[in-house]
Amino acid sequence: MENLQCLLEALRSLELKGVKPSSPEEVAKELEIGLEEAQRLLHEAVIKGLAKEVDGKYALTPEGLEEMHIHRESVVHNKLYHGASLIGKLSRIMERRLEDLDKHWEAKHGFNGFTVRGLHQGLMDLQGRVEDLAPLTSLTPGGKGVVVFALGGYGLVRRLAEMGLTPGTEVQVVRKAPFRGPIEIMVRGVTLALGFGVASRVIVRPLL
Amino acid sequence: MKGTVAEKLTLALAGNSNVGKSALFNQLTGLRQNVGNWPGTTVEKVEGTLYFEGLKIKVIDLPGVYSLSAFSADEKVAREYIASGEADVVINVVDATALERNLYLTLQLMELEAPMVMALNQVDAATRKGIEINVEMLSKELGFPIVATVAITGMGVKDLLSTALRIAKQGVRPPQPRYGKEVEERIVRLIEVLEAKADKLKLNYPKTWVALKLLERDEEIVARLSSTAEGKEIVALAERLAEELELIHGEPSPVVIASERYSIAARIAKACVQLKPRPEIPWGDKLDAVLVHRVLGYPIMIGVLVATFALIFTVGDLLVEVLEGFFENYAVPEASSFLLSLLPAEAVDLVVNGVIMGIAAGTTIILPYIIPFYLVLSILEDSGYLPRAAFLTDALMHKVGLHGRAIVPMVLGFGCNVPAVMASRVLETDRERLIAGLLIVLVPCAARTVVILGLVGRFIGIHVALAIYLLDLAVIVLLGRLAFKVLPGEAVGLIMEMPPYRLPSIKSVVNKTLVRTWSFMFIAFPLIVGGSVAIEAFKLMGLLDAFVAASKPFMEGFLGLPAICAVPIVFGILRKELTLIMLTEVAGTTNLSTVLTPQQMIVFTVIVMLYIPCIATIAALIHEYGVKKAILMTALYIVLALTMGALTNLFLNLVLS
Repeated sequence: MENLQCLLEALRSLELKGVKPSSPEEVAKELEIGLEEAQRLLHEAVIKGLAKEVDGKYALTPEGLEEMHIHRESVVHNKLYHGASLIGKLSRIMERRLEDLDKHWEAKHGFNGFTVRGLHQGLMDLQGRVEDLAPLTSLTPGGKGVVVFALGGYGLVRRLAEMGLTPGTEVQVVRKAPFRGPIEIMVRGVTLALGFGVASRVIVRPLL
Repeated sequence: MKGTVAEKLTLALAGNSNVGKSALFNQLTGLRQNVGNWPGTTVEKVEGTLYFEGLKIKVIDLPGVYSLSAFSADEKVAREYIASGEADVVINVVDATALERNLYLTLQLMELEAPMVMALNQVDAATRKGIEINVEMLSKELGFPIVATVAITGMGVKDLLSTALRIAKQGVRPPQPRYGKEVEERIVRLIEVLEAKADKLKLNYPKTWVALKLLERDEEIVARLSSTAEGKEIVALAERLAEELELIHGEPSPVVIASERYSIAARIAKACVQLKPRPEIPWGDKLDAVLVHRVLGYPIMIGVLVATFALIFTVGDLLVEVLEGFFENYAVPEASSFLLSLLPAEAVDLVVNGVIMGIAAGTTIILPYIIPFYLVLSILEDSGYLPRAAFLTDALMHKVGLHGRAIVPMVLGFGCNVPAVMASRVLETDRERLIAGLLIVLVPCAARTVVILGLVGRFIGIHVALAIYLLDLAVIVLLGRLAFKVLPGEAVGLIMEMPPYRLPSIKSVVNKTLVRTWSFMFIAFPLIVGGSVAIEAFKLMGLLDAFVAASKPFMEGFLGLPAICAVPIVFGILRKELTLIMLTEVAGTTNLSTVLTPQQMIVFTVIVMLYIPCIATIAALIHEYGVKKAILMTALYIVLALTMGALTNLFLNLVLS
């Protein structure tokens, strides 16, 4: 299943780049795998009803899109909010269906409808692998990342954008205060301090 | 000179925090300043005047903001004022070292369609950082004049004034920023309906701006429009359009629009800024490596806070002694002997104990601490250390529902609640200010420490005094958490700029101190004198005995205290240490252990510690939060104190029996 999920992600990323449907060659390049392997995966996806073939090119089906989304969301959920613990893994199995996860966000993590919607949107439009995402708090001093989206209520998300943390912005961590204290970052030539809670809701793609 | 000036002009300074706006303001107006509050708010309004080329020019220093959304009272005040059109020219003060971020506000000011001039400030600091800005090109890109300034030295200020004058005469407005196609299309659609129904809506804002704010779902504009049926339709349309934008971009609409503004700002900044390699690590970075170091930062901060504390209270105590000496040895006896020759004895009591002692209380409590406090606060503010202390203590302050910026007010509270309440101004949103205010008043100030140590500490033991201190801290933590949950509004965590360090200018610090002290005295003095007269009148009319009799069932039944204890509690409103003095007076002995049992002492101390803040603190609460909230808070403390007193009594009854 893992490989198949990567395939679905690759198809979505290509879609967002305007490549739809995509040829096996494009998929292979996106996934950095061999053409044969890509063809095998695409075939498997078609059998499972997650992708459809049109003239030798492939596109996601609505089921495939949902499967990809569930995968992305559970990765964010497990990695950011439950870690890779046994309970985290169990909860992922329990919450395969999207609406269940929505309820879980609201009940267990205190997210409101707006925040959940923001998360959906952020993940739907994500280019690249969801596994590459990390909260800003996980960067070490000196580390850089690109803002992908922010999770939070209307006020927080808007405030962050106003202070320059809009999607696509590069940030660098300057230092971190101890005891889960704030994180000092450089963004758009300005030094900002973000409280730990705020920073943990800013999702970035770390740059190496 | 005043008489000859016929023409008048109003300039408003708008800009981010920490860009040198106040320095420019001081440079423009000197000491001709006025500080008050914006009507209906507790946001500081600073006004000044100057004379230039035969014109009398009024300058308004708008609060420093990063955006013109409805996030904080500061932002609302700033945008209301600019939209009102009262200012002939808006001077946008911009920090040349952070052009891109500053341009975000510039674009929003342009949206408001007021005539504009930019003061590109701190160009010297920018040069030192290796940032070269092409002013001419920037002005061409934005479409309005720009003057390079260094506000601290006054460089460019004259040029700025004459440019502003020229713009005021011509009345030219800056061009509108052009956003992306998807946004522009929706703005046009909204403007169409806004124009069609303009006469019914009565909005005094530019329509493009209203359209943008509607797309951003600005709470205030949406609420205003929703009050009419036509407006409601427009809001519904705007909501649909905002949702379309969200579908296209996959981000909440305010983020979409913020991104658009930032992409314009980034493009302009990139075109106009040339970066040169910096010769060495700037001294500010070196300083930060020590001052906010994960380990070293903390002892340094404690040192700074202790020094602040020590400075305020040694200077304060010294002044208190001098002033008290003056009042006790000179003013009061002189005044009474003089008045006795004119008035009956009771009236003299009212004047001397009420008015003069009230003035004495004001002058001896407030002035000695307030002035050094404001001096130190201004220095901490201007130097840039305050945000560093907030950075270090944010994690700790979260435990009581606040964030790091509240550390200074909370610590100051241990000395005197009055400056502490006033320092809660450093917090951004009304919600945070209110939580901070609620908690600060419970911080045991020096006067309450005197009571705790002088009564419980002396007659029972220091360990019990400490226990009472801990009880107080527990109440603070609990109330903080409760307020955090209960108070309306979204809790936005710490998002704070760490401005570069600056050497505070003496002129600015002194100026701020004078102006702020004056504005506080204006509120506090009438209240203190009035309260003092009221209590004295209460006593003279013989109501005190009636009050004692009336409170007897409660005092004895619930609190287990002798009824006579009601008297010191009433006088404690004037100043808390009076409770101890009055207690010895009504008891007729300084050995209080002969009058009160240890249990009674504990209950009494708990009540004194928690009930109504002293009258000066109430004045500060009114100053910062308005009359209504101050009364509500005071009522809350009374209920809290009596409840805690009764509970303590009950608990001790159980434990001791």
